[in-house]
Amino acid sequence: MRWLELTVETDVEAVEAVSEVLGRVAAGTAVRPTRLIRDPSDELAVREDRTAPYEITAHIPDDPDADATVEATERALWHLQAFGLRPVGELRVRAVDDADWLERWKEGHAAQRIGRVVIVPSWLDETIGPDEVAVRMDPGMAFGTGLHPTTRGCLALLQRVGPMPPRVLDVGSGSGILALAALRLGAGQVDCLDTDAEAVRATRANAEANGLAGQVSVRQGTLPETASTTYPLILANLVAAVLVELAPRLAEHLEPGGTLIAGGVIAERAGEVMAALDASGLALDERLDDGEWVSLRLSRP
Amino acid sequence: MAKKIRTVLKVQAPAGAATAAPPVGPALGQHGINIMEFIKAFNERTANLRGYVVPAEITVYEDRSFTFVTKAPLAAALLKRAAGVELGSSQPNREKVGSVSQQQLREIAETKMQDLNANSVEQAMRIVAGTARSMGIEVRD
Repeated sequence: MRWLELTVETDVEAVEAVSEVLGRVAAGTAVRPTRLIRDPSDELAVREDRTAPYEITAHIPDDPDADATVEATERALWHLQAFGLRPVGELRVRAVDDADWLERWKEGHAAQRIGRVVIVPSWLDETIGPDEVAVRMDPGMAFGTGLHPTTRGCLALLQRVGPMPPRVLDVGSGSGILALAALRLGAGQVDCLDTDAEAVRATRANAEANGLAGQVSVRQGTLPETASTTYPLILANLVAAVLVELAPRLAEHLEPGGTLIAGGVIAERAGEVMAALDASGLALDERLDDGEWVSLRLSRP
Repeated sequence: MAKKIRTVLKVQAPAGAATAAPPVGPALGQHGINIMEFIKAFNERTANLRGYVVPAEITVYEDRSFTFVTKAPLAAALLKRAAGVELGSSQPNREKVGSVSQQQLREIAETKMQDLNANSVEQAMRIVAGTARSMGIEVRD
């Protein structure tokens, strides 16, 4: 089957009305803001530019009725204009081939090798070398697919630590990717923390999928101010502002002689993060730059 | 984790009944997002709104992980319920299918204000009124 893709560009005020018109003939619509604004003071924040047009798309089956449906939609859109709603663009029509959407999104997701660690999507049958360790992981609703430089940087630094200790703390575990890699590299047990319920769920599910659920404990929340227990290795792939805030607590939870791997630091804020960690008594052993992202390996003397 | 945003997009799909067919498949697929994970979560979260088309706002991160929030049903659906009509008019300038009061318009605008990206209730009311007119639903003075 083929589809006709109907697209209309319009002002923010007419998005609902245009969606309603397209929704009369299609099972739903997709809305794309054509311009996003990045916040210079927050490297993670993005918002829609409401003064820019929005693009609304719907699909109808390309069958003998399609022409009539397109015409009726054009008429309905014309009525919107007539009612004085903000500018509604021309209806653009394009034929698209049907696809197995459940499969197609997987294209472009390949196994990734970071040193000895291989991140393998569940649908791939990847050969793992004798010196390599595999973590099975599908991209999903928690950060940490192995595609981002911060994850890769932390995975690289993890392999510079030497033999994995029996106990590890992972602060902001996301998908659980760092925790699972640490276990595959020889750690005995990883305690994971994340403030996001979805990440907690994902860490558990991924631990289960890798047969490592027995060695992973997950809790929703943040790092307490005082440590009831300390760790020889802490993984903290967070973000600059949170690392600065948590610096004293990370130091508090680290055993003397222990290692902290800190990631998610945008290059321009690396100085600020290193200063905060230094002020908490941690010494920088290694800095790894990948594009605009920095990962750090530190130790507590 | 350092969740740097790649893009944001929205889909409007039938509550509790989204599938990988368009619009969801192509919209998410082009960003390499795990479609099955989205569909399962969307249908779970919107199961109690069956019968409505519900917008979901999806945030795609640079590593192709994503999160999403669902919004109130489309204003069009709320208008149809308020006016007690099944379908919008195909000739909204000539054929009126029903009407809503200013008070109903304001209530819908308030429900939808956040989702509509409106800066004020008045702007939200204007947007909802535009949708109403385009459906052949009159707004009574």
